[in-house]
This record gives sequence, C-alpha cells and structure tokens, in this order.
Amino acid sequence: MDKRIKIALAALIVRFAIAPFFMHAGDLGTIYESSAIALHGGNLYSFVYQQTVQMQQATGLPIFFEGYAYHPLLIYFFVPFYWLYTLIAGPGLVFIGGHFPNLPVLVYPWALFAIFMLKIPIILADVAVVYLLSGFDTRKAEFYAFCPYVIFISVVWGMFDAIVAVFLLLSYLTFRKNSYALSGFAYGLSTMKLYTIVLLPLFIVRLWKQWRALGEFLLGFTVTLIPVAYYMIASPVVFWNVLVGFQGSRVMGGVNLYNFVWIIPDVQFDLLISKLPTILLIISVLAIVLLYGRKLPLLEAILAVMLASFVFGAVLNEQFLVSILPLMLLSKRCDPRIWIAPFIFVFLRSAFYYFAIPILWTSPYFYDLYFQADTVWKYLQTVGYLTIPMYAVGITFSLLLLWNLIQVLTSVDGPWVPRTLSRTIRMRRK
Amino acid sequence: MQWSRDFRLRMKILTIFFIVYVIVLSFIPLVHQIFIAQSSWLGYGTGAYAYQSPSYFVLFNDPYDGSSKPNIHVNPSSAPNDRISILEFSDWTSYVDGYNLFNDFNVTIRASGDGKVLDATYVRPGLTLQKLIDLSSDAVQVKMIASKEINAHIELWKWIMTSVNAISTESKPTVIPTGTSINFTFNDQSLNAVGEGQISLSRVPTQIEIWPFENGFNRVTIDFINSEMTFTVSGSITQPGQVSWSYGDLPYVLPVIAIVVVISYLLLAERYGQENKNRTSRTHR
Repeated sequence: MDKRIKIALAALIVRFAIAPFFMHAGDLGTIYESSAIALHGGNLYSFVYQQTVQMQQATGLPIFFEGYAYHPLLIYFFVPFYWLYTLIAGPGLVFIGGHFPNLPVLVYPWALFAIFMLKIPIILADVAVVYLLSGFDTRKAEFYAFCPYVIFISVVWGMFDAIVAVFLLLSYLTFRKNSYALSGFAYGLSTMKLYTIVLLPLFIVRLWKQWRALGEFLLGFTVTLIPVAYYMIASPVVFWNVLVGFQGSRVMGGVNLYNFVWIIPDVQFDLLISKLPTILLIISVLAIVLLYGRKLPLLEAILAVMLASFVFGAVLNEQFLVSILPLMLLSKRCDPRIWIAPFIFVFLRSAFYYFAIPILWTSPYFYDLYFQADTVWKYLQTVGYLTIPMYAVGITFSLLLLWNLIQVLTSVDGPWVPRTLSRTIRMRRK
Repeated sequence: MQWSRDFRLRMKILTIFFIVYVIVLSFIPLVHQIFIAQSSWLGYGTGAYAYQSPSYFVLFNDPYDGSSKPNIHVNPSSAPNDRISILEFSDWTSYVDGYNLFNDFNVTIRASGDGKVLDATYVRPGLTLQKLIDLSSDAVQVKMIASKEINAHIELWKWIMTSVNAISTESKPTVIPTGTSINFTFNDQSLNAVGEGQISLSRVPTQIEIWPFENGFNRVTIDFINSEMTFTVSGSITQPGQVSWSYGDLPYVLPVIAIVVVISYLLLAERYGQENKNRTSRTHR
C-alpha cells in the first residue's frame, strides 16, 4: 500500500477509536443544536441572539451568550452527518443543554453515536491534511497525524480548527499552482472561524495589478459569502449582533499575554483595554502585508500574517494553532513544537475530566466522581492557583509565536548571500 | 556571513517593543485594583457584580446562580487581600409569599449611575421586590422594598457561626427571641480565622430561627411581614488565623511572572537563535 494512504489510514483509525468517548460539552453541544436547527431550516443565530438579549437585559452589562457565532457555511459541513445520524437513531434529543456553566444530559447509547457522527467532518479534515502533507514529506505528515495536540483538539475536544487548516492549506497549494478561483474559494471556506480573515489583504496585495488573477480569486472568495449575504438580508439585526457584535466585542484573553484580564472583574474596563490589541493587530498585519507581503515567499507571507495576528490579536484560543500547523510544518523557518504550550494550557483552563463526560455519565459512580474532582478543581480556580501557570504559559506562547514570526520574516532578509546565489535559490524555489 | 543590518535592527526593535509591552501590561490588574476597583459596583462574567470598599468585599452573583445574593466578606486588617465571608444571603432558600426568590421571579440587576448602589429587582405577576445594596465605611446595607406587604422568609448563611445572640449549642432548629439585633461569632473554616458579626434589622421580624450544624450554626432564618426591611451587616476578624495565599494577591504576582518569563525567553532565544544561525550558516556554506 502507498505510504501516503497508510499514514492517512492510521490517522483515521486513531481518531475513530477516540471520537465517541470524549467531547467539550459546550462546543459540541452548540454544533449538535445548530445542526438540528439548520436541518429544519431554522435561523442559526436567533437562539443565540435571544439568549444574548436576555442576558443583557437581566444584567445591564455588554455580555454575550456563547453559542453559534461562526460563518453560516460551517454548519453545513456537520448537517449531512447529523442527518445521517437521525436516519439511524431517530429524531429524539440525546444531548440536552450543556451551555456553560450547565452540564449536559446525555441519552445513551445514542449520545455516543451522535458525538461520533458530529466529529466525522473534523476527522476527515485532519486526514485530508495528513494526506496532503505526505505528498511533501511523510515525516511531516506523521507529525500532524500523531501530534497529541492535534488529536486532542479534533477528537477529544471536538473543535473544528482542522477544517480551517485544510482549507487554508488548499488555498495556499492552489494559489501556488495559479488556480486563483479555487484558492479564493478555499480561502473563503477557511474564514468559517473568522480569524483567517486577516489574510485577505495579503492575497489582494499578492495579486495586485494581476487583475484577472485577482478577479478570479475574489470571485471564488465571494461564492463562499452567499450564505452571509442571505443572513444579512433575511435577519440583519440578529446576524450582525451575533457575528459582528459578539466577535467584535470579545474580551481579550486565551493562550496569550492578555489572559491577565481574567482576574479583573470589570467587564467595561476589560472591553476598553481589549481595544488595544485590536489596534496593534491592525497595525501589525498592515505593516507585514505592505512591507513584506510581496517580498516573502507565499508560504512565509501567510504564516507571517497569521503569526502576527496571533501575537497581537485580542483572542487566541487553545485550538487556533491547529489551523496553521500544516503550513508551519511546510516552512523550514518555523518550529512546530510550539504546540506544547497551548496543549498544556488546555489542562490549566479546563478540567481534564470535563472532556470525559460521555464516559463519566454512564454510571452514577463515575458521575459522583466527577463532582468530587470538581470540588477540588473549583477550589484551585477560586484561590487563583491555576491563574499563575495559565499566565506564564500564555506569555511563553506569545513569545514563542513572536520568535517564529521573526524566523519567518528572515525569509526575506535572512542570512546574507551574494546576489547571484540568491537569484539561483529563488529560481530553484520557483 | 552577515545578516542585513537594517533587518536585524527592525527585529531587535520588535522584540524590545514586545517585551516592554508584556511587562507594562502585566501591571494592569494591579493598577485596576488600586485605582479603579475601589468603592464602586463593577459587573463581570455572566452578570455578577462586586464591590470592594476599604474593609468589605461584596459579591452579588449572576442571575443564573441563586447563591451569594449578596455574599458579604470582610477584609482583615492584618491581611487586606484576604476575603473572609461573614454572611451570605441565599435566593435558593429564601421565599416571598411562598415563591422562591431564585426560581419564581425574573431578576434584573443594575448598578446606580455613580456605582454606589446595586439594585436587584425581582418581578413576578402582581409583585415587585427590590434589593438595594449599599456600602458605608463600617457596614453593608441590604434593603428590601416590596410593591405591597409581603410575607418573607429570608435565609442568611455562614459556615459556621459558633454562637448566635450568646447561644452556642443547640441540637435542633431553635426559634430565638425576636429583636432588631442579631450578634454572632464565627470560625471561618478555610482560614481558621475567628470573628464576630452583627445584623441590625430596621423592624422587629415575626420570627428568628437558628439552625445547628456541627459545633455551631450554619444559618439564621428571618421571617417578617412588611413591605420593607433593611439588614445592616457588619463584622470584623478578631483572630486572624493563618495568613495564606489569597486571590487578591494575584495582581502583585503577575508582573513578577511576566519578568521571569521574559528573561528566560531572552536567555533561551539568544542561545537557540545562535544555534539556529550557525546551523543555517553551515547549510549555506
């Protein structure tokens, strides 16, 4: 058997074996609820909007309900699998509640099957990344296939950054082959988690004055915006509030230097200072795009913009690194071992047993153990013992991202070589 | 081999800027705690509010939690960052006209314009009840105002009170003589601190009952029939117990962490960068 297929199959088997037994109840619950709404033709954003309005009216604070606040296209990757699930298991609810801070009610045995089915798109994205990477270097493919961090985020957590990763990778590969419409389409799909939107100015600058290529790219990109246009026309207030309102007014934090904000119990102040990273993000992305956007090789240019947005941007969740890990593996400038920092952070921010709810909810004995462990965990949280390592890991990760950013930027101005030799290198690269 | 001087300079400036940025930002929680967080109701999380006065810290939980409505803490003078709970009003276990305050009312919470008073308004058909929480330098006032005369059963919790109005041991729930003042002593379980507290009532209630737990009591229930009642709560720590780490110490620790991490990074980046540079140089040779 072809080695590429062997690695992809191995990645698939590992993920299938883990998938049904673990989840992040809040995030997978959102996908489960949203899939049901989308399948029945409902408005994805209405529920989140109503909850947000209710919270704001009750508290008088600019706070948002954390539900489905993604690109509308995203849910259509999950809906076919949810539909298949309902064909087999029937339409009954098997996953009830689970939005933070509540815990879900699971109906067995179908809950495990639902969890498994909803993770299939993520697993397929992971396997596609492995297959594509193995076309370049099987060791890099193996790195991604068996990286504990990637496996954890995709099949233990059930977070879909692997889908962002595969489309970002496809966008890069098709751009390199001058298939600009496809590249624009793949890039548009990668914006389903919105944080890749920072790459749009880069693609435009790269294609500036190549009007036909730019037109093709933007056409491909625009196709992916059709569902956005639909929601903007059908329910502008709801859509704007959930997507732009929530994403635009998020309090900074995550695996970065900004998570100190979590110890400041003042949401108005937190929102005010969260504007600072947004300003720095805009400045840094524009500076990189304008100064290095055309000088850097495409791969390094994409990485530079993404890394700068991660270094300076307000929110950097544990899973975001998955999206650029395949590109980091392709670049000789990056050190992909930085996954260790967000992986450690996962276990400082969330209790490890929270991810094992599908197993722990199977027996009253395990259920009781959950709450015993939770008492200890909540104590550690309340007294602030977990805040200190979280802050240290956050700063460390920001600094490691900065280090990688500098390494990537050296692609344009790295070790000095005679002009004739550098020209030869460039020719070879082409 | 040599690196472009201009590029190296740019990267150095970027690194220095970022390091200064990290360290400066690490002081923000401390600046907020000292200059902004004092003596004003501030909202956070999913809708909770907190107030830090020079001697009291009061937490009013979000609308999705029936505990700490409010929870009154005292800051011991020997350890001002410590917060020792002296009394917790519970909506889970309090009733007005037979309706549970947490489950049977819609609640809206607002801080007054100047941030000094917190107004929690409980509404159900035919009845509106306001809880106004106000802090002075020596006490916390919880004022309940209803739209009509109500029959209220309010539960106040503390784990544990060693005595209430000089009664220190009872084996079953006991109704004590009514009055406008309830004095209690407590032993804080987490810090082993010993303290005393006082609840002054604006009117004589119909009943005061104390509930035994372990070697003392863990709650006082107050029943009254009226449209208004004010609970003025004060307390102090008489024996500090063990001084320990407190959540309030975090703002002082974060800058230290930031500096340590940044220095470690500079040392490691210098070493690793040098190795990387040598490796790149060898490759180019």
